[in-house]
Amino acid sequence: MSATIVPEAEAGAAAVVRRNFWRGVWRVMRRKPSRMAGAVILAVFAFMGIFGPMLYPDPLPRDTSALYAPPSLRHPFGTDFEGTDVLALVVTGSRYVLLTAVVTAAITVVVGAGIGLFAGFRRGRWDTVLMRFTDMKLTIPGLPLLLVLSTVWKFTSAVEMGLVLGLLGWGGVARAVRSQTLSLRERGFIEAARGLGLSTTHIVCRELLPGMAPYIAMNALIAVTGAVYAQVGLFFLGVLPFEANNWGVMLNLAVFSGGALTTTAALPYLLAPLLAILLLTLGIVLVVDAMDEIFNPRLREE
Amino acid sequence: MAVLLRRLAGHVARGLVMIVVVTTISFLIIRSVPGDPLAARYQKLVEQGMAPDAAQRAVEALYGFTPKGSLWEQYVGYMSGLAHLDLGQSLSVPGTGVSTVLLSAAKWTVIPVLAGTLLSFLAGVVLGVYAAIKRTGVLGDVLAISGSLLHGVPQYVLALLLGAIFTTLIPILPAGGTADIMIDPGFSAAYIGSLIEHATLPVLTYALAGYGGWILAMKSSVVTVLGDDFILAAELRGMKRSIIFRYVARNAILPLFTILALSLGLLFGGAIFIERIFNYPGLGLTLIDSINNRDYALMGGAFLLITTAVVVANIAADLLYTVIDPRVRSGGEPA
Repeated sequence: MSATIVPEAEAGAAAVVRRNFWRGVWRVMRRKPSRMAGAVILAVFAFMGIFGPMLYPDPLPRDTSALYAPPSLRHPFGTDFEGTDVLALVVTGSRYVLLTAVVTAAITVVVGAGIGLFAGFRRGRWDTVLMRFTDMKLTIPGLPLLLVLSTVWKFTSAVEMGLVLGLLGWGGVARAVRSQTLSLRERGFIEAARGLGLSTTHIVCRELLPGMAPYIAMNALIAVTGAVYAQVGLFFLGVLPFEANNWGVMLNLAVFSGGALTTTAALPYLLAPLLAILLLTLGIVLVVDAMDEIFNPRLREE
Repeated sequence: MAVLLRRLAGHVARGLVMIVVVTTISFLIIRSVPGDPLAARYQKLVEQGMAPDAAQRAVEALYGFTPKGSLWEQYVGYMSGLAHLDLGQSLSVPGTGVSTVLLSAAKWTVIPVLAGTLLSFLAGVVLGVYAAIKRTGVLGDVLAISGSLLHGVPQYVLALLLGAIFTTLIPILPAGGTADIMIDPGFSAAYIGSLIEHATLPVLTYALAGYGGWILAMKSSVVTVLGDDFILAAELRGMKRSIIFRYVARNAILPLFTILALSLGLLFGGAIFIERIFNYPGLGLTLIDSINNRDYALMGGAFLLITTAVVVANIAADLLYTVIDPRVRSGGEPA
């Protein structure tokens, strides 16, 4: 490890670069208001996941005189089969959904980038073995595997769910990071670093990784959407026991107990979580679009 | 030709390894289900007064492998059963083999999924060409955005929205099942009409879910081909636009055939959500029901079938790619 005493000038330059970066971000965001909307949507969802459950009393109040009440000022999305406010259910259920998504994204990115970097940088036998394994993982269809797995392991808690989805989902990131590593490692600056006798850790962490960071960050956001869809889908199918309230449980109860596909009474109960999923997707798509332009200057329409 | 054969051999070998891995996974899962369904079943049969020998044979018939002996012996038994295409007996449909249950469920998945895939392929390819040519116009933008949106939304959201619209708000389509139970199955206009009516929503959902991917792929493929030198050369030679268009379309659609081959791998397992939502008795619903009924032999069989289809489609797609693109054929090892 190299001891680093950063000279004043260099620190100043770094600060300028950072400031320019944020100015660039601001410019890209301002050019299309839709991107701003995307960032706002994600911020609202983050707020909802962190503070939402604190805004409501713990067992949510039930109004037994108003089962499946139609939308009104008091209940913007009506009530469910027990007379609980649907909006409150969506808000309190968001924590589970988002926590899972964050855990999944973290595992996907760490494992995927780690394996991709290792395989691409080492090459040779390890590369072959790891990529065969990755291919195999990518071939087995994910949803049936999750369904079969659910018979042995009831991964209902948010962290367990995130763990399962993350461990099943890193294949794509690993492949992409590996191919990027393969092309980067032949570039001059890596060769120079190797010529200087810098350690592998230094080359991988300080030279290779920064170039790929934006790409990995975008993949993390995409992993978030994937995790939301997968977990909501699993709870919706009803193969896992319902322990905590979340959007998938709501969809399941609305369709298979409330009969939302045959009567209009439970329709708001069905549409509210769907709307939440669509909004979250929209926010992520818009932010990914903005990130694409921030980190890929060629796309910038100056 | 020799290259092609060698590739084929390699793919088949890898595919077989995949299938062995998948069956091993399902074997291990069936074995490690909490409460050991095999032992429980055996115990129950013995308690019901069956002789231990007969009970063991019955359990064996049920699960396709012997519950006694070491894990390895059980594994070998299970695998040799599979090699003879013996998937065991279904628990939830007593007296029926797993293969029979799967076979009768398969038609309810394969036909709608195939129809949906082809429908979305055709629509996506045609509109994709249009979106590429008009990519600076408003309509091109609208088409591309519709593609991105539909591509991004999960299948169940589409299915639920379509269901909410067409069975609840404007109840013009049936909410589930394969046909009206009041109509006798048979080759009559009423029954076939009912079949089509019930299949409309599942097929429509599947087609809409797939359409986004096709239009995006076709658009980008056409845009790439439009930038090629030979198109410019054709234009400079003063060829008619319709002929140039034929050049473009023919070259642009090639890569899509490989994706089509890949997507046919989902023929068996691609409609799990749609089947659950519209209560359509295909393989996806069979898989979910088998899980809910703790019918592990059926679950293992369904999982194996779904995965095998994907593996086979992968091999087919790769071979197809070799056949239609001569550069890959002579290029040896792909990067």
